[in-house]
Amino acid sequence: MTALIILFITALLSLFIAFTKKPWMVLTVASAGLIASATALICESKCANMLQFEGLEFTSFAIFYGVIAMIFAFLILLTAYSSFKETPEHTGDYIGLLLFSLCGALIMFAFTDMFMFFLGLEILSIPVYVMAGSRKSDLRSSEASLKYFLTGAFSTGVVLFGIAWVYGGTGSFKLAEINTAIMAQETASPLVYVGMLMIMASFLFKIGATPFHFWSPDVYDGSPVVVTGFMATIVKLAGFGAFLKMFSMAFGSLHDFWAPALGFIAVITMFVGNLSAIKQIRFKRLLAYSSIAHVGYALLTLVIQSPDSPFNLMAYLFAYGFSIIALVTVSLILNDEEDQISSFKGLARRNPYVGFVAVVALLSMAGIPPLMGFFGKYLVFAEAIGEQPWLVAIALLNSGIGVYYYLRIVILTVQKPEEGSPVVSKHKVPALQWFVLAVCAAAILFGGNMLIF
Amino acid sequence: MILGTIFESGISVQFYIVLSTILFAIGVIGVIVRRNAIIVLMSIELMLNSVNLLLVAFSTYFGQGDAQIFVFFIMVVAAAEATIGLSILVLLYRNNRSVDIELFNKLKG
Repeated sequence: MTALIILFITALLSLFIAFTKKPWMVLTVASAGLIASATALICESKCANMLQFEGLEFTSFAIFYGVIAMIFAFLILLTAYSSFKETPEHTGDYIGLLLFSLCGALIMFAFTDMFMFFLGLEILSIPVYVMAGSRKSDLRSSEASLKYFLTGAFSTGVVLFGIAWVYGGTGSFKLAEINTAIMAQETASPLVYVGMLMIMASFLFKIGATPFHFWSPDVYDGSPVVVTGFMATIVKLAGFGAFLKMFSMAFGSLHDFWAPALGFIAVITMFVGNLSAIKQIRFKRLLAYSSIAHVGYALLTLVIQSPDSPFNLMAYLFAYGFSIIALVTVSLILNDEEDQISSFKGLARRNPYVGFVAVVALLSMAGIPPLMGFFGKYLVFAEAIGEQPWLVAIALLNSGIGVYYYLRIVILTVQKPEEGSPVVSKHKVPALQWFVLAVCAAAILFGGNMLIF
Repeated sequence: MILGTIFESGISVQFYIVLSTILFAIGVIGVIVRRNAIIVLMSIELMLNSVNLLLVAFSTYFGQGDAQIFVFFIMVVAAAEATIGLSILVLLYRNNRSVDIELFNKLKG
């Protein structure tokens, strides 16, 4: 609870400090606030006399997911800093919105009843609608914002309708009481089933699983690169965290009913994501489709639902997030107007350091062994193989398809630059982005072993 | 209180479920079919309001106050959402001189 308050005050402060038009000051305050907030969050389990509120419960689940979301937010802030210099007057708005959205993510990890879940969902989403449209004169950015807003508001309506039906079937908004009520009924009331399916549909919207994925390529493509990174890491992490929490705590006893449906969705999500990614030529679109495929793999943890599921899901998204942040940073450094994949061509020759990190991040997403992405996939698949061998087989097949398009970019990166192409100046890497790349590369290279132990 | 008297007068909760489901369906159809972005926003508001009706009906049925508090939350959030939605529409109208969602097709593939 203290962590949430610190974060909220930091966000307010950064809105006001922006009046000084000194981006570094906003960044310093925001970073200090994030670190203080993360410390408070970690203390939450150890210190007895913290602020308490019955709607939010900071269990170890919420603390782990929250700290990871904060690490990602911190890296994204550092990466975005160089783009703030172009519009110093908007720095505070960006950082403030990002931190407000992070508050929502924290609430979505810690909720114990539907009230807080709904508020968390909205606090998470509404700032992102604005951030997606933050390049005001760019029609693509505005269009992405509108599409994200309309699908997001629609899915809010659906989740609310679902919550209302579940309330009708159980008479409570609290997760634990909903579970007790469902267990007490001999056959669960049809109201609960309808409501649960609607809540599930809305979650699938939020994380971008297949029947409801159509918005995500457009939105990822049109938004500014940094916002794409934010949506692919923190919004996805929050969506998955809340999905897992609600469906294990409130609807855990109906697992036999919803698990097969979710398994089927996972399969089509993987195929749609991977097969569509193959033919993409724009980098952010490729990231969007590959993130749809990754949602498919991560859904396996929900289908299985063992005591290890929260950790496996966290490990998977942790590994995935570092790759995304590294690639977003590379994309910012390349600064290609058209955002074509071909802009990666010869990157390793032009700037070996950036090229190296890009290759490592791509290979980690493909799941090549010594890297972190492999260990994330390993944990998820190893857990699932006992119960659902055919599902794991399909997931492995899909990983194979995924390797194809990741390797395509890797090959482009290490190729020689074309003869006769205009001499590309060595890309200048600002110090902060250099740091972010170093952190991501270190995490991807050496973090995998830590996940296993 | 008024709702309470209506319940006593014999309208059972099933009718409210049916009514709010119909309203919700109208909202969903509106979102899918209509091309004007402002009408789409209105349809989303209709969906949220059908939820409010359902929650209040259940609240009276169970004799609890929780759901009525939830309705206030939904109203507040719906207002915030409408604000953001309308400002995005203003932004688009400045760039495009139209709020027809069929025209927003720069992102494809």
